[in-house]
Amino acid sequence: MRAAAAAAATVTAGLIGALVVVPLESLGRIAAEDGLTGIARALSAPASRVAILHTVAIATAVTVLAVTAGTALALAVERRPARSRLLPRLLVAGPLVIPEFVLGFAWSQAYGPAGLSDRVTGLTMPGLFGPAGIIAVLTVYGLPLAYLAVTAGLAARADPALERAARAAGAGGWATLRTVTLPLLRVPLLGAAALVFVTAAGSFAVPQVLGTPAGFGTMSTLIYSDLALSAGPAAFTELVVLALAMVALVLLALGPLDLWLARLPRAARPETPPAVAAPRTAGDRIVMVIVWGYAILAAGIPMLTLILTALTRGPGLAPVPANWTLANFRSGFSDGAGAALARSAGLALAAAVAAPALGGLVAGLARGRWRGPLATVVTLAYAVPGSALAVGIIIGYGRWLDGSALIILVAYVAKFWVFGHRPVQAALDRLPPGQTRAARLSGARPGTAVRTVVLPPLTVAAATAAGLVFVLAFHELTMSTILYGPGTETFAVVIMNQQDLGGVGATAALALVLTVPVVTVAAVAAWLARRTAVFPGIQNGSWSS
Amino acid sequence: MRFPLALVPILLAGVAACGSSADSSANSPAGSSSTAASSASQLTLYTSVTQNTVTAVVNGFAKTDPGVKVSVFRATTGQLNARIAADEHSGGLRADVIWGTDPLSMESYAQQNLFRPWPLPGLAGVPAADKTTYFWGTRELYLVIVAHKGLTPMPQNWSDLTSAAYKGKVALPDPAAAGSAFAALGYFATAPGFGLGFYQALKANGAVQVSTIPEVVTDVAEGRYQLGITLDSEVRSAIAEGSPVVMDWPADGAISLYSPIAETVAATGGANTAAQAFLRYVLSPAAQAAIGKTGWQPVLPGIAGPPRPAGATEVYPGWPALFGRQQQILQQYQAIFGA
Amino acid sequence: MVLLTAAPVLRVPDAVACAGLSVGYGRPALAGLDLAVTPGETLALLGSSGSGKTTLLNAIAGFAAPLAGRIWLAGELVSGPGRLVPPERRRIGMVFQDHALWPHLSVLDTVAYPLRRSGASRAAARRGAQVILEQMSLGPLAGRRPGQLSGGEQQRVGLARALAATPGLYLFDEPTAHLDANLRAQILDEVARRRAADGAAAIYATHNATEALAIADRVAVLHSGRLAQAGPPAEVYSAPDDLTVARLTGPVSVLGAPVRPAGPGQYAIGIGGARATVPGTAAKPADPAGPAILVRPDWARLGEGDLPGSVTEVRFRGPHTDYHLTTPAGPLLIREPGPPRAGPGPACWSLERLRLLPPA
Repeated sequence: MRAAAAAAATVTAGLIGALVVVPLESLGRIAAEDGLTGIARALSAPASRVAILHTVAIATAVTVLAVTAGTALALAVERRPARSRLLPRLLVAGPLVIPEFVLGFAWSQAYGPAGLSDRVTGLTMPGLFGPAGIIAVLTVYGLPLAYLAVTAGLAARADPALERAARAAGAGGWATLRTVTLPLLRVPLLGAAALVFVTAAGSFAVPQVLGTPAGFGTMSTLIYSDLALSAGPAAFTELVVLALAMVALVLLALGPLDLWLARLPRAARPETPPAVAAPRTAGDRIVMVIVWGYAILAAGIPMLTLILTALTRGPGLAPVPANWTLANFRSGFSDGAGAALARSAGLALAAAVAAPALGGLVAGLARGRWRGPLATVVTLAYAVPGSALAVGIIIGYGRWLDGSALIILVAYVAKFWVFGHRPVQAALDRLPPGQTRAARLSGARPGTAVRTVVLPPLTVAAATAAGLVFVLAFHELTMSTILYGPGTETFAVVIMNQQDLGGVGATAALALVLTVPVVTVAAVAAWLARRTAVFPGIQNGSWSS
Repeated sequence: MRFPLALVPILLAGVAACGSSADSSANSPAGSSSTAASSASQLTLYTSVTQNTVTAVVNGFAKTDPGVKVSVFRATTGQLNARIAADEHSGGLRADVIWGTDPLSMESYAQQNLFRPWPLPGLAGVPAADKTTYFWGTRELYLVIVAHKGLTPMPQNWSDLTSAAYKGKVALPDPAAAGSAFAALGYFATAPGFGLGFYQALKANGAVQVSTIPEVVTDVAEGRYQLGITLDSEVRSAIAEGSPVVMDWPADGAISLYSPIAETVAATGGANTAAQAFLRYVLSPAAQAAIGKTGWQPVLPGIAGPPRPAGATEVYPGWPALFGRQQQILQQYQAIFGA
Repeated sequence: MVLLTAAPVLRVPDAVACAGLSVGYGRPALAGLDLAVTPGETLALLGSSGSGKTTLLNAIAGFAAPLAGRIWLAGELVSGPGRLVPPERRRIGMVFQDHALWPHLSVLDTVAYPLRRSGASRAAARRGAQVILEQMSLGPLAGRRPGQLSGGEQQRVGLARALAATPGLYLFDEPTAHLDANLRAQILDEVARRRAADGAAAIYATHNATEALAIADRVAVLHSGRLAQAGPPAEVYSAPDDLTVARLTGPVSVLGAPVRPAGPGQYAIGIGGARATVPGTAAKPADPAGPAILVRPDWARLGEGDLPGSVTEVRFRGPHTDYHLTTPAGPLLIREPGPPRAGPGPACWSLERLRLLPPA
């Protein structure tokens, strides 16, 4: 047993070393080039302080909004019979399949002045360009994470009888929610809040599109502009310091949280949740109206705007059929775009397999008091801004991997490892103890016991994680555009090049090409899941912690 | 739907095989001539020039010099800076030629001793304002005013942008986002009669900063703003697509910046290498004409570029005076317009 | 069955009354149930899994709205067409089968919870909870979490929580299902003591016939969502109306032999050539042509009389011994006090009592 534990620790340490320590250490060396005075100078510059303040404010606001709204929606939807929960889940999680840089741009085209809403109804969203707009769009991204986490928590909490006991003891609806339901959801809620915070803090494209016109910058836009101006090494050092400051921010926010979460008593998995489904009420209809309204406003109308932009011949022309053309698609899809698309899909698929596998490996190997710190460490690479992480990976692995697609894959796995780790860790935590022992006593060797007893309940968590990692890796822009080499362009590179060329129509066309296939695949998968009950667990949704 | 761990290394190997065959093997620290980065048949180009121009020139070069395999890494200036810095920290620059879009970034690279000066026949044809010891221009970019079609009255000069007639209708590109946008700031900051006061006046007049040069054109076309500062090539392509915009060339001259190219110290030294063949080609009439066709003004006089209004003039920012002061000027600007 | 009028005037209202109750989702799990529990009475709901016991408890507690019918608590209509009083406003205390203790609250806070909900301050609620815990000898566990308690301790904490609400009606949902015999006896004693003290009514759902017979004032046997029989324990045990109720209320042997009435309350029965005249009862409708003869294990004696049989198995149970016999009329179980007196082999036995039931 001791040898097995030592081997497990080595594997875990090796993975962490390769994916987290190497890039961070490279960045650390750069940051230290100017010594401590350089670091202090970089952090105390007024622009830095303002940026840090803005970032923390935005991330906090987004976290509070997304978690509150996501929890409320999840609680409202989960009262419905099982089959009719799938549609609301898809509608709420839908915006995730739209790349971040697309959604920000689409919102500005839809709700900004001279946008679609302005043309049709004369209404624009006040404050769209500025912190309010940034918070709104980032909340649209964060809400599905909170929603999925709470849904999983509701499916896995100890016993529906706990709520009944509260009501029998005299607690009304609100009191039950406050004193029993929400405390039981503490763990998944806080885990989701952590992820939402880190995602919002590291967001770049949305603050760039919506913040710049109002002069509102965040750490990531500051890093970007520093990078654009920084051709000299001194300025480069400064921006690396800023990037590492973002990592430190995440460490400060998540470290204690993860330690505390790891110590909380785990909820046992229910034997068979009794299927007492409440009949439909008028409240259900209101909930569905709200969910549909949200989906249409947050994703539907912006996507419609994007489609119109892609079809319109040039900017400023009215998006009427007279001005429609497919030329944007043709010009966008000039040489190499098709191959880049295939390459993006392949890399995203590889990352979608690797991240949950490695995450599950580390989650399974982690014991006891290491679970909390391990979760934080895995999240650190996610917290590093894309451009800095890419630099760290080039420095760490460029000698051997430069020019191959593998370096891009390493970057994807390092960045999105957290999405493979946390949900699988949470699902593992929910397994009743003693199941592997029962398998061993029935004659299974350790590997077989793990494969046949531990893995199947993790299937849904792993599948959901894989889907999420696929979408994120498919859409990833910043690192791909730095790490690619000749012959390894991803589709994001093609889109960036098109954006620099200026044709907003062609960029929109390419963005649609990036988004629509994923939406189609997701819709088909959901339809199949409903029809064939192949993945019955998806109905229950067991994601996240 | 399980993920047997055994599959993972197989997938990783497969993806690695998908990537291009590994090229540079031995890497040397910057400063010494390497033997591997370029040879007679291999060229690595790092560039931030727009894709269609790069493709046109590279394809033209392939016709004249078919034996050379050109590998292109194209990204925006910021990404390019990151890549170069990362290369420097991990064994040395891996490019033979760097082709940028603004002189200030190239000057930074020159200060890092990345370039090799080489007197190039034909370099004499390049105007003096468009070259330095280490790098020289390949095309000229002009910052002009873009106006929504039908706007009356049309501004005549740059200073007209601050007039009350255009209150709240002017869009400016973010100088922190691109070198070309910074060129405008650099010019006005140091030009007599303008200075940072010009930007203060713009801000007081309700001008708004948007994120990129192309977005200025898009916003003006959509009517969100009526005027903007942007690049001439962007305006022309929008007009060609039928957008309701016109190009307003200021009477006191468009702000001109040039797109420099240089050979790096990582390239193999010598007169007959692929890098130098490429550099020669870029200044040849064929390549310059190709550049003109993609919408930019070629740097060599006598080669036809895109049409300009009669009597159009240019002004040149004092690049040497600007270099090293970018952060300072940007901070002054951001004090006015926010980060 | 007893139906309560809408406005009881002189008589004390029933603690619980159900009329025509149907509960379920889609297909009803309970259909057309009439039931009443008087104040201070303990009603045992006896039935196997799926018979609708939990559904009935949920309906009375207010967790499930009835498809049809009405429910009154202490004379007030709480469930009916267009009216559903929420659970937190019905004065009931419920003890759950799997304890339903809240993992995030300590034992003290769990028991204090009902007091908090009725408006007491945290300190006052905790004081009240401490008193209850002391009374149930659970004081030392006050600071622990449910995960740190054994099954029996958890169930007693659940009982303490129900007591804290001082309800007028207790609902027990198979509370001793997971407990050993010792603990089970303790809990039952506790329950009996408490209710003797405060006079509240109780409905106790269980599938264990012994338990039901032991604690109940009346037993209601549920089968497939219908009330099969209700009455005092002795009656339900010795005079079941049909075979299903008989099987649910205790160990049974069913004999098939010719039998005919032989006088008031007497029946002549012939088994394997021997004859006997046995006192007995008959459930209506009894068809003497082919009834089932019900024999409880204490209605036959081993080693006396001249009915033939053969002992196949002897099981010592502590206070009594079970003898399994095969007879010409079918298998028979005889239970006699004390240790085994005979081994397997031919034996004779006598029948002291029987009951005729309609054939199943």
